[in-house]
Amino acid sequence: MSVKYESQLREPLVYGDKTYHQVTEDIVRPIEAKPSKLWYIGFYIAVALLLFGVYSVYREVTYGIGQWNLNKTIGWGWDITNFVWWVGIGHAGTLISAILLLFRQGWRTGVNRAAEAMTIFAVMCAGQFPIFHMGRVWMAFFVLPYPNTRGPLWVNFNSPLLWDVFAISTYFTVSLLFWYSGLLPDFATVRDRAFTKLRKRLYGIAAFGWTGSTKHWQRHESLSLVLAGLSTPLVLSVHTIVSFDFATSVIPGWHTTIFPPYFVAGAIFSGFAMVQTLMVVVRKVFGLEDYITMGHIEAMNKVIVLTGSIVGVAYLTELFMGWYSQNKYEGYTFWYSRANLFSPYGWSYWGMMACNVLSPQIFWFRKMRRNLFVTFFMSVIVNIGMWFERFVIIVTSLYRDYLPSSWSVYYSPSIWEIGFYLGTFGLFFTCFFLFAKYFPTIAIAEIKYVLKTTGESYKTKMDKYENKEVDEFAHAAHAH
Amino acid sequence: MEQQKYWSSFGELNQSDAYKKDVQDEFKEELPFEADDKGLLDAKTPRRDFLKYLGFSTAAAAVAASCEMPVKKAIPFANRPEGIVPGVANYYATTYVQDGDAVSVIAKVRDGRPIKLEGNDLSPLTKGGTSARVQAAVLDLYDGARLRFPTIDGKEVTLEAVDKAVADAMAGLNGAPVVLLTSTVVSPSSQEVINQFLAKYPGSRHVTYDAVSYTGMLLANEATYGKRAIPAYRFDKAKTIVSLAADFLGTWLSPVEFAKQYATGKKLDEKNPSMSKHIHFESAPSVTGSNADEKFLHRPSETAAVAAALLSAVNGQAINIADAKLKAGIEKAAKALNENKGAALVVAGSNDVNVQIIVNAINEAVGANGQTINWAAPVNYRKGVDADFAKLVDDLNAGSVGALVVYGANPAYSWYDADKFKAGLKKAKATISLNAKVDETTELCKYVIPDNHFLESWGDAEPQAGYYSFIQPTIYPLFKTRQWQDSLLKWSGATTDYLGFLKGYWSTKLGGESGWNKALQDGVISPAAETIGGASFNGAAVAGAVAAAGAKKAGKVEVVLYEKVGIGQGQGAANPWLQELPDPVTRATWDNYVIVSPAMAKTLLDIDLNDSGEADAYEVMPPKKVVKVTVGKTTVELPALIVPGTEPNTIAIAVGYGRSEKLGKAVVGTGKNVYPFASFNGTAVQFAAADASIEATGEKYPVALTQTHFRYDTAQGNRTEVMKELSLAQFKKHPTEIRDEREKELKPWGGLEKFESQGTIYPVFDRPGVKWGMNVDLNTCTGCGACVVACNAENNVPIVGKPEVMRGHEMHWLRIDKYYSGDMENPKVVFQPLMCQHCDNAPCENVCPVAATNHSSEGLNQMTYNRCIGTRYCANNCPFKVRRFNWADYTGADSFADNQEGKVNDVVMMMNDDLTRMVLNPDVTVRSRGVIEKCSFCVQRLQEGKLKAKKESRPLADSDVKVACQQACPTNAITFGNANSHESAITMVRMDNPNRQFYSLEMLHVLPNVSYLAKVRNTDEMAHEGHGAEKKEGAHA
Repeated sequence: MSVKYESQLREPLVYGDKTYHQVTEDIVRPIEAKPSKLWYIGFYIAVALLLFGVYSVYREVTYGIGQWNLNKTIGWGWDITNFVWWVGIGHAGTLISAILLLFRQGWRTGVNRAAEAMTIFAVMCAGQFPIFHMGRVWMAFFVLPYPNTRGPLWVNFNSPLLWDVFAISTYFTVSLLFWYSGLLPDFATVRDRAFTKLRKRLYGIAAFGWTGSTKHWQRHESLSLVLAGLSTPLVLSVHTIVSFDFATSVIPGWHTTIFPPYFVAGAIFSGFAMVQTLMVVVRKVFGLEDYITMGHIEAMNKVIVLTGSIVGVAYLTELFMGWYSQNKYEGYTFWYSRANLFSPYGWSYWGMMACNVLSPQIFWFRKMRRNLFVTFFMSVIVNIGMWFERFVIIVTSLYRDYLPSSWSVYYSPSIWEIGFYLGTFGLFFTCFFLFAKYFPTIAIAEIKYVLKTTGESYKTKMDKYENKEVDEFAHAAHAH
Repeated sequence: MEQQKYWSSFGELNQSDAYKKDVQDEFKEELPFEADDKGLLDAKTPRRDFLKYLGFSTAAAAVAASCEMPVKKAIPFANRPEGIVPGVANYYATTYVQDGDAVSVIAKVRDGRPIKLEGNDLSPLTKGGTSARVQAAVLDLYDGARLRFPTIDGKEVTLEAVDKAVADAMAGLNGAPVVLLTSTVVSPSSQEVINQFLAKYPGSRHVTYDAVSYTGMLLANEATYGKRAIPAYRFDKAKTIVSLAADFLGTWLSPVEFAKQYATGKKLDEKNPSMSKHIHFESAPSVTGSNADEKFLHRPSETAAVAAALLSAVNGQAINIADAKLKAGIEKAAKALNENKGAALVVAGSNDVNVQIIVNAINEAVGANGQTINWAAPVNYRKGVDADFAKLVDDLNAGSVGALVVYGANPAYSWYDADKFKAGLKKAKATISLNAKVDETTELCKYVIPDNHFLESWGDAEPQAGYYSFIQPTIYPLFKTRQWQDSLLKWSGATTDYLGFLKGYWSTKLGGESGWNKALQDGVISPAAETIGGASFNGAAVAGAVAAAGAKKAGKVEVVLYEKVGIGQGQGAANPWLQELPDPVTRATWDNYVIVSPAMAKTLLDIDLNDSGEADAYEVMPPKKVVKVTVGKTTVELPALIVPGTEPNTIAIAVGYGRSEKLGKAVVGTGKNVYPFASFNGTAVQFAAADASIEATGEKYPVALTQTHFRYDTAQGNRTEVMKELSLAQFKKHPTEIRDEREKELKPWGGLEKFESQGTIYPVFDRPGVKWGMNVDLNTCTGCGACVVACNAENNVPIVGKPEVMRGHEMHWLRIDKYYSGDMENPKVVFQPLMCQHCDNAPCENVCPVAATNHSSEGLNQMTYNRCIGTRYCANNCPFKVRRFNWADYTGADSFADNQEGKVNDVVMMMNDDLTRMVLNPDVTVRSRGVIEKCSFCVQRLQEGKLKAKKESRPLADSDVKVACQQACPTNAITFGNANSHESAITMVRMDNPNRQFYSLEMLHVLPNVSYLAKVRNTDEMAHEGHGAEKKEGAHA
């Protein structure tokens, strides 16, 4: 008789008749083989974008923010839109690793490594915007509260921007630690298989002397749990605090109490979409279909339709409150500047509605959830929609606020604003390509855990052990 | 006397060899490198010295390779001149004179540089008021495009050489007459100089030319009063003012003086509310029309008919005007005039003699003569008669003029038929220009001796008979220039220079040196008592004038030319402060354009302003549709701006643009010259054309507007929290209406009384000591823009140039918002000056991550520039959008020096050259790129005022602190002071006007320190937009 419950409805988390060794082989293969032509092409495109971004930022830093098309009324545009967008994307990784770990969702193992990497890179990209949107970026260190020689000047703890500094840096640090601690056993695996001295040394350093002793495993497990515990509130707090940038202000369209949950839902929404975009490609390119299965994709699509509907409800609530409050300023922002398709930025609002609320509803259908093309297409659409959302919140609130005299001329980005955004894509993909080449993109050790419970080969081979008594089993294991 | 010798050692005393050697080697000991004795360069680098070498070489490389920084020189006084304390300003009374305009001013001189002009309070005419152009005049002093030396044929020569050349030329005229062509000369002593000059050359004559002349008035007055002069007007004594398109608050005759007078009638006493009534008739919107209580539109060609109808109506006769609205307006105006006989005044801007004769007749009928029109002391602002100049042009073309000496006048630009003048000019044997810059006329002259700027000059002015104002230099001439009077004196063979002449002229009149000194110190001499008198009226010409006033012409579209407050007849075109001053009517900068009515926009441009989509598309995009306007053979293509309040079939274009690029960088690419649209009817130049054709070209041209939307009424509600206005009748009926409205709005949070404490969850702070407060009376604000330029000058507000204004990057700390309400064809207009509101609960302060903006204990919202990192969060969170960000290095103060070539406009670069920077106020930090700035309530003046009171051990008085905008305002609309003091003017004005006072966006609980007094129009209308909206909202809910 089986000692554990196993669902008959759930699909296995890993397909194929895999052994432990095969798992290692499959996942480490891309690291040990020469990269394909496609990898080089992709990598160089990413580096080119990155360089263009660097040049765009160079122009902005040396000649002034006037290189962008912001103005006296619209003080933030693409810069903060992109910041919030990237931060939002950076949410899925931690959610997958931390919250799903705590909830014992086995399916997370296939995607968590890449998702966490994506989080780290997305947060790195996000960080560029608040830094380089400063008029005097060389004074950026003023936001750090450290004992200084600049007299009694201190940071302003009332400012949501300062909260951002702490929220994002904390999030980045914890995510990085979490990701890296998970990488240790896998680095050790790569190290042990290394065929050159250099590789051995480098991966040896990266593995921090991991030997796989029981003590190591035990501490590793505890650390994972502790970090998961730490990250869980962060998933909620980071975007809550980002939303405070707007929610604590006085501008109609920003001054909204609904923002924290709405932003968090939106962040998870866009984060999962980005994971989908990357996973669909990675599993194909590296042949990891057995590890990142249709089950994974479907599970994430379910999260997308859920969170997409949550933000949809939030949008409708805003519209309702814009009318119900009978506040003419809010009414104008929500009903004219946004919901009126024929107002100057109406296209962005309806673009957002179409991408974020309407189109994800397609995932109510199982067939669609399990269709790779639809998934990929929708994941891109969702991220476009979420970009629109941030643009709508920032620009359509600012461009026509209280005094009609200050209403702005039409804002469209300059080439250097776009360049900065493209540059962060460059940064993101440069990092991701390097990651895919040099890091195990799937957590080898964790896949091996779930292999015990769901791997097909494991199940067939272990049947005989499972039917044994505990003493017998212990003895046999020793012998093995 | 031999210097004493000090020595520090016997070696030095005796100049021993060892000492000499020591002196030669700066480092007495070898540099501490552990090496053999081969010297520094040959030394090896042993391990112990590695760090030394590394340090030295890094430091050396860093020093040698560090960024190239521009060299800035500051040279202190070696010996302090008497009367100059570094850092303390001196003030000199002088007079702003430009062509016929004269305003008594006080020049603030810091360390030898005049940096700011203030109105002279002692002047009984302008009473301390100034205009935008007066405020901007100080910048002209430092204009790099001023001619810096005398020239012959464009080549630099010495004064002696040019004098000799001119003398030779004059001698060679063979009796051909000399003509002195000037703009109106308001200086009595200069008139004397001119007389001497004319006496020296027999047959010579003096022709006065005004670009926008008042010939019509001069001749009409000659016909009816027998005097070719312009009387003084007294708007303060008029209870009814009817203006037939006279822009007397903006550009007509002496706007500063008139604005001062006008404001007295518009100040409202809440306990006993009464106001003067101003009814305005015009074709195209003007500053004055915007301020009128009631405004009626007519076509330019109808002006005479309107005047004639008004005369009939005043005389109780029936009038025949087809347009019902206009007819009702004329009847209303006549009634109002008749009700206030003896305290009524009619003025007309037309240059048509007949119109002015009719207006004189109306004034006679309503008893204005000798009451609101003072013939006892006529004014000297304009003396030019167009026919005189037209004759000169003919003479020139006939070759009968020997020498033409030009001063001030610039007909090659501003005469309607400039080509004819230019052709004639070439036929004169000698052409001499005394203009300060290479303008269009000077360019054509052989000899040029540039005039001084008035701040470098001696002189006097007599704006009104018996009222004198003096000019004294505030700085030594910057260039090799000479006052024009000196040139004339020299050529008249006088032995004395103009200063001697002037001193002599006045010393005899004023009883010697001390009288002269006193006059210079005060700046003005005025009659002890004002005399107001009339002149005998001769109505013989009236019937003829009325008969000549035909009905309106059949032309489909009519053009009217107007002057802008900043640019005037074109004198302001080279001044970046004036170019960037948003026009009060259109809020446009750096260009002229065609003003079209919303009705014409619909048919001609296919833009319906009542369609929100089309209105948005028009408003949010700077490129505007270009139209082609043709009058006769002249065609001009300009962008069209849609301005409500324009007569449907009339278009208006400002003169003064399209100047020669030799006038400076500020004129490059700004607008087109439309003087050729004017016409000469034999007596006077008419600045309107009755038959024009207009068509859209299909092209677009960007116009830099600082305000794009002008209505505070939205589909979601009327934003009465922003702006409050009502009619006098309404105010009389419900004096507390506005107060009740506020009370109702704030009721859930404790009402007006307790709003401060109950509107927040945070504790309320005591605010002891000084608490600065400002009040702006929207009733007296005319929107003229003097405060905006004053703020530019006082606070070193940078100029950003047209491309940057177009992108919403203008830096003005103070702007004047303009709103329309009511009928969009002929709306009511209200101006609202908006500067930082210095909120006590400022939303900008709590969002700055580095606390760069914070609150002072005196209620100032203050900016710490060097703390600012430029996140712009404060600007986003400012509900008034008064914060300005330095998008580029507009001031040359950036850490990345000298890299803005091509990134900012040439004008901005010009504003940063060493010469132009001399105008900067050393008391105010020049902001660098990447930081936010905004109105500081002129904190430098507040500190100075507090120090002054402190030094004198007395409490602060109102007179100690005057902020720049307040001081510049010609209507005293701005009150400023310590709101915690019981005696201060700011407390008084708030106490006296509890019913009109409001704070903009009060419901946000940002607690502004700037209060406004609601605009009250003197009309009988009872409908109030606020009420309407409330009703609408109520129905909606």
